[in-house]
Amino acid sequence: MKRFLFVAAALALLAAPLSAHHSTAMYEMANPTTIKGTVKRFEWTNPHAFIYLDVKDDKGNSVEWEIELMSLNHLRSYGWVRTTVKAGEEITCTGGRAKSGAPSMISALLKLPDGRELRS
Amino acid sequence: MRTFAVLVMLLAGSGLAAQQPAQPPAGESPYRIAGRLPVRIMSFDISPKNIQPGEKVTLTWAVENPASTTIDPIGRVAPRGRQVLSPSVTTTYTLSVTGASNSADKRTVTVVVAGTMPGASPPDAVANRPKTVPRTADGHPDFSGVYGYGAGGGRGAAPAPAAPGALPATPTLKPGAEKYRVVRGPEDTGLYSTCMPPGIPQSFFVPYYLQIVQAPKHVVIAHEYLNQFRIIPTDGRAHPPDPDPSWNGNAVARWEGDTLVIDSIGYNDKTEINGYRHTESLHIVEKISKPDVNTLSYEATIEDPNVFTGPWLIKRTFPLLPEYDSLNEFVCENNRDYKPLFGNK
Repeated sequence: MKRFLFVAAALALLAAPLSAHHSTAMYEMANPTTIKGTVKRFEWTNPHAFIYLDVKDDKGNSVEWEIELMSLNHLRSYGWVRTTVKAGEEITCTGGRAKSGAPSMISALLKLPDGRELRS
Repeated sequence: MRTFAVLVMLLAGSGLAAQQPAQPPAGESPYRIAGRLPVRIMSFDISPKNIQPGEKVTLTWAVENPASTTIDPIGRVAPRGRQVLSPSVTTTYTLSVTGASNSADKRTVTVVVAGTMPGASPPDAVANRPKTVPRTADGHPDFSGVYGYGAGGGRGAAPAPAAPGALPATPTLKPGAEKYRVVRGPEDTGLYSTCMPPGIPQSFFVPYYLQIVQAPKHVVIAHEYLNQFRIIPTDGRAHPPDPDPSWNGNAVARWEGDTLVIDSIGYNDKTEINGYRHTESLHIVEKISKPDVNTLSYEATIEDPNVFTGPWLIKRTFPLLPEYDSLNEFVCENNRDYKPLFGNK
């Protein structure tokens, strides 16, 4: 049971990366991915916030993607509140997807339905 | 048709559905892309806009993607907030923000206080923050507040070079103690990959805030990370005999002038300090002071006679975050189990 508690926070601190013990190995960070989907739920929690996104695969089937965001202190510093993302909204996330192929990614920026882009 | 074919190829390369948006260019971290988003002011309002002397107004604001957010004459504020104020004279509040890509914005709102002229001096006691280190009723400096992790990769500001004669910033292992140096293999996901406490002083060096609450006979040092806290008596008492080994140790404190000196023993041997394990003989002396109202100075002298040849010193500073008054909740089990993302590893 390995949990990566502040991978995202470590990634954010680009100016002086944390030491190597914060593995980022599970996400493809060098080649970012953008996905669009409909928010199923938004979990405003530490150590990281999560969005569960209903994404259509290439056959048109719904696939639930798990979108990891920063910790709450980072998100607040970007101007987020717990209602910034709402269930039912169509949003676009850009970040690193799981190398394993699992429907999972860590999102660095997010586009809301009105076109606003936010660090995430 | 050709464009469509190219698009399909691009999407096929990403493994995503054809309904998906165009993909960002390869080779750049998404955090660098996000780091260029400009700042914007979503709203800045005051209500009501006309009051009688002694009445209150509510200032609200919302900013997105800021590097800095300030309201004159209040000072630094969180990107989203609300303050109830009692301006004694007609006052104009100015919200100024800066962000990435040289972006900046500014807005003003004015409240007219009947029968007064616009005030040039700071007009509001609520808005005025202390400019020097406040003191408690018993005369000690008051460290209470929320502190950030500042620059330096979540570890506070980088340490200054050790002065001549000062303790070293890195330890020297005793002969035969090489096993206490942490060497991580590819399968070792590290100190922070479980819900176990990082201990002292590592709890100070994570990218989550800390908060100090000071009472007459105790100081509470709380860390957002894992919501760990210590309630430390400051009356100079001794350690209890043979305290049970624990993650955060047994801590007692005393004042030396304006410096709080925290002495702790009774640690278990499960934590690491800057890449070194230790035994239950770990002894840490922390010194906390405030050189100015906005800065917390932190020193930890580390000793373990079973591991190190002598004491060594970790020094950090942490910025006061006057815009926050409490830590966030942190429930480790909220985090997802990432093992599936590693496949079978």
